Amino acid sequence: MPALRPQISPLGDSSLVIAFADALDDAANRAAIAAAGVLAGADLPGVREIVPNLVSVYVGYDPAHIGFRRLSGEIALVLGKAAPPPRQRDATLIATRYDGPHLGAVAAELGLTVEAFIARHAAARLRVLAIGFAPGFAYCGLHAPALTMPRRRDLTPVTAGAVLFAAGQTALCATPLRTGWSVIGYTDRLNFRPDASPPVELTAGTPVQFPVLAP
Amino acid sequence: MSIRRDETAMIVIDRAGPMATVQDAPRRGVRALGLAAAGPMDAASYGAAGALIDAAPGGGIECDATGLAFTLVSGRARLGLAGGDFIATHNERAVPWPGALDLAPGDRVAIGPARAGNWGYLRFGHALDVPLVLGSRATHLAVGLGGLEGRTLRGGDRLTLVRAPRHTETAARIPPYPDPAAMPILWGLHAHLLAPELRARFLSTPLRISARMDRMGIRLDDPAGIFAVLEGRSLVSDAAIPGDIQILGDGTPVILMREAQPMAGYPRIATIPGFALDSVAQLRPGTWIGFTPITLEAAQRQDLSR
Repeated sequence: MPALRPQISPLGDSSLVIAFADALDDAANRAAIAAAGVLAGADLPGVREIVPNLVSVYVGYDPAHIGFRRLSGEIALVLGKAAPPPRQRDATLIATRYDGPHLGAVAAELGLTVEAFIARHAAARLRVLAIGFAPGFAYCGLHAPALTMPRRRDLTPVTAGAVLFAAGQTALCATPLRTGWSVIGYTDRLNFRPDASPPVELTAGTPVQFPVLAP
Repeated sequence: MSIRRDETAMIVIDRAGPMATVQDAPRRGVRALGLAAAGPMDAASYGAAGALIDAAPGGGIECDATGLAFTLVSGRARLGLAGGDFIATHNERAVPWPGALDLAPGDRVAIGPARAGNWGYLRFGHALDVPLVLGSRATHLAVGLGGLEGRTLRGGDRLTLVRAPRHTETAARIPPYPDPAAMPILWGLHAHLLAPELRARFLSTPLRISARMDRMGIRLDDPAGIFAVLEGRSLVSDAAIPGDIQILGDGTPVILMREAQPMAGYPRIATIPGFALDSVAQLRPGTWIGFTPITLEAAQRQDLSR
């Protein structure tokens, strides 16, 4: 690990990005999550924050303590060593009411009945690919090619708890926002509670599944 | 006059512009939650307002260019003012900006409008008695978190000022702002997607600060339409930071600011380094802004010399 050779680029003057791919890809996502874990345990000098993205890792650092070149070198050294395999975890179940406004259109576009779409979506074993975009917003994936379709052209305002679907992924929305993803349902499980510890329960790499909650 | 810091005090907001908020130091380590760090649009001026009175590290008020007025209804307080260039009065008498005031019960302070800049800062010798959310009192408007009920301030709001230890700010002065016609940039995460001709055009074509600005970002007018060629370009979402210049799906350039989402899916062609970003927050709509690339080492040297 990681089998992929990452590319390290500066991001502004006090952070960098370690990229494992330039498009969404399951192996690159796994490599990014694993690398973030390894780096977090490496106690690198001057590092403030390490966060996995969909196919990369963000590293924030203090330029008063370390420069980009030296930190890149240290990161390459750490990532060059073998990492422990990820531990197996049970899937977190996100009980979902499949009654979103775009459910019918999504099933139709995939050539499925609504019932068949729900059955396949509820059975899909996914992982949290990344947290980002909005507080607690969990990108989950990746779906099989048969369940892959693009984003919508229009933006839909959604409430916290919306279960979104697009681009081979299901996303869990924890705050109200406007989105180009299709809304297929809702859950009571909110993944951002600022007064809880930790405020975000699902983190990158967590296995998840979206079983049916009867409306 | 010496102010006893163990007193509490209270202010009532008489008038507030549409973007006035409680601000505080940015939240650290919250990117993994999908949350922006937030904090003052012009952090240097926020610090300078505090340094004028050895303010408590307990938050302050950020007002927009239309200003804000308040009455100290009880207690005594020290007030530090900085950021942009605002008209300010203390009990109807003009006071200097930036400046420091001692306030007695019943005193009224009126700020605004701004003669220059977009953001003014009010710091007190006290801390603001609003809850710490994830380590900071800073309002994150887009998410409705922090500050006073996660929202903008409005007339009638009461803020209690509580005892806090005296604190010496490190940023005692506002560093010189760069000339907007030669705004320093670092090339961004997606600069390699730009053809060399487009990069050259970006460096030789000034863009204009538009009136469409908020705490998330500042949209730029691109009258020559140099980024129209990037229309509809969408990428795998990746880390984004304040200062990034992002080209939206319709070709509009946006400078990401303090509440920008930590992940974004449009190309980020360049990044305004940290030492220059405070100055960008204060640029008025209509200001032309030209871009000059600098090296990462130069940006980091400038940041350390602040």
